[in-house]
Amino acid sequence: MMAVIGRSLVAMSRVDPTVRAELAPIAPGFVFRMTVLPDGPSFAVERTAEGVFALVKDRTRRAELTVIFKHLRHAFLVFSFQEGTARAFANDRMFVDGQVSVAVRIVRVLDRMEAVILPKFVARRALKRYPRIALADKLALATKAYGVTALNLLRGR
Amino acid sequence: MSIPSPDKAFYEFYCPVKIVAGLAALEHLPFELQMLGASRPMVITDKGVVAAGLYQHIEAAFAGSGIAVAAIYDDVPPDSSLETVRDAAHLWRAQQCDAILAVGGGSVIDTSKAVNILVSEGGDDLAKFAGAHHLKRALKPLIVIPTTAGTGSEATMVAVITDRKTGAKLPFTSYFLMPHAAILDPRMTMTMPPHITAMTAMDAMTHAVESYSCMAGNPLSEAFASRAVRKISENLLKVLDNPNDAVGRLALAQGSTLAGVAFSNSMVGLVHSLGHALGSICHLPHGLCMNLFLPYALEYNKDVNGEKIGELLLPLCGPEVFAKTPAEARADAAIAHIRHLRDELHARAKLPRTLRETGKVTEDMLPRIAAAALDDGSLIFNPKDADLDDLMAVLRKAW
Repeated sequence: MMAVIGRSLVAMSRVDPTVRAELAPIAPGFVFRMTVLPDGPSFAVERTAEGVFALVKDRTRRAELTVIFKHLRHAFLVFSFQEGTARAFANDRMFVDGQVSVAVRIVRVLDRMEAVILPKFVARRALKRYPRIALADKLALATKAYGVTALNLLRGR
Repeated sequence: MSIPSPDKAFYEFYCPVKIVAGLAALEHLPFELQMLGASRPMVITDKGVVAAGLYQHIEAAFAGSGIAVAAIYDDVPPDSSLETVRDAAHLWRAQQCDAILAVGGGSVIDTSKAVNILVSEGGDDLAKFAGAHHLKRALKPLIVIPTTAGTGSEATMVAVITDRKTGAKLPFTSYFLMPHAAILDPRMTMTMPPHITAMTAMDAMTHAVESYSCMAGNPLSEAFASRAVRKISENLLKVLDNPNDAVGRLALAQGSTLAGVAFSNSMVGLVHSLGHALGSICHLPHGLCMNLFLPYALEYNKDVNGEKIGELLLPLCGPEVFAKTPAEARADAAIAHIRHLRDELHARAKLPRTLRETGKVTEDMLPRIAAAALDDGSLIFNPKDADLDDLMAVLRKAW
């Protein structure tokens, strides 16, 4: 599941200008990791010079920002979209180690991803507010994002 | 979007700080140090505290106790730095101290927490401990004696120290940063001028209101927050009318600590996002920023958490007003009361109510403030989502 979320973030950064705008102020080479205590599943993405996310395969690479779930069950709640990211923070499911302002941007990116790739009735459960996005735009973005994610999974990227 | 309720699905609550509060509470200092096995405390404070004669109360508390202050570091600036922390840690080691007494406001308390990291863990590289939960063991004894009634830092697990070389503010978060004790003695806040009294009290009020009404509130934090609102609401104007009211001063100090315990366990929201942004761009005091945004942020959030805001009418105005006000009108009544309180503070202590009244904010700064607020961590815990347009709308109302 973590691998899919990581790849979905990569895909969203490639197909969605809104996500790219969020990543623009982040320094190239910045690594963001999500992980589960004590040494559970994780993924890491790097903000590239092109302004998109790329998967980081080296698990030992230092991350500038890490979001750490306290238990696998909590991560499952979030990534199965039963609990929104903001609600998970408010429920002490996880904590941030690193620059909080970038963490806020990443939360917005995760929210955007959920709004785009999930059906509205699922996304509304996880988000504070469902964004203004036309159905045609949502479908076009979601199709592209699913396509890039599937391709990357097949290529093992 | 589900609203935080008393039946919150999951929460954590932690406050190991012993609170010693009351008239002559300072006289318990020697006992508290003895209980912690310490006998050579170092006082960390600032020049303002010393100039106001507040240090004399500390000295007097040790008279005849067999314990004396082993060193005083009184050079803490309003915005503390890595260098300040290093200097104070050197003095602590040179004088072979075994405890820290933080005597001051937010900057002194943050500095003291950071000094405690260095003297407990060893070395001079504070930055390597920056971030969340990097400390793995208990630190040296730390007792906090606040000289303002607003930050609540005596009950929080956070310290923020500036790296002057990069300009970055380094956050340190750990349960081990929490002081062993906080001593609330009205003598230490008695000399605060009206303007500072009002500003710091509204800082504490905002901690309490946001703690109660934002997403991470829980039954325990709500209990602390509600009591904080009541203490401040009942005593702030009384103290401004009679600055020597020791009981009122003590109530405000307790309100600040109660609010500190509350928000340390529930975080805050939109008022703080906007306030942090305004403070960093326009260099306005934090408490003033809180006062500027509080009613406008509540109005913005009201359609999502109006019930929670309405519940605050009870500690704000008392049971009679609460009972007479229909449930659906309580949120508006609570906000109206806060607006009225701000008018009174403006009349008594010249505390600005709008951005324009500060004289330090221009309208062309609003987009920058909104952009900075959008990236503030507190926004995650605000019950209602806010984008750039929403933040600009709140700023325009506060203009």
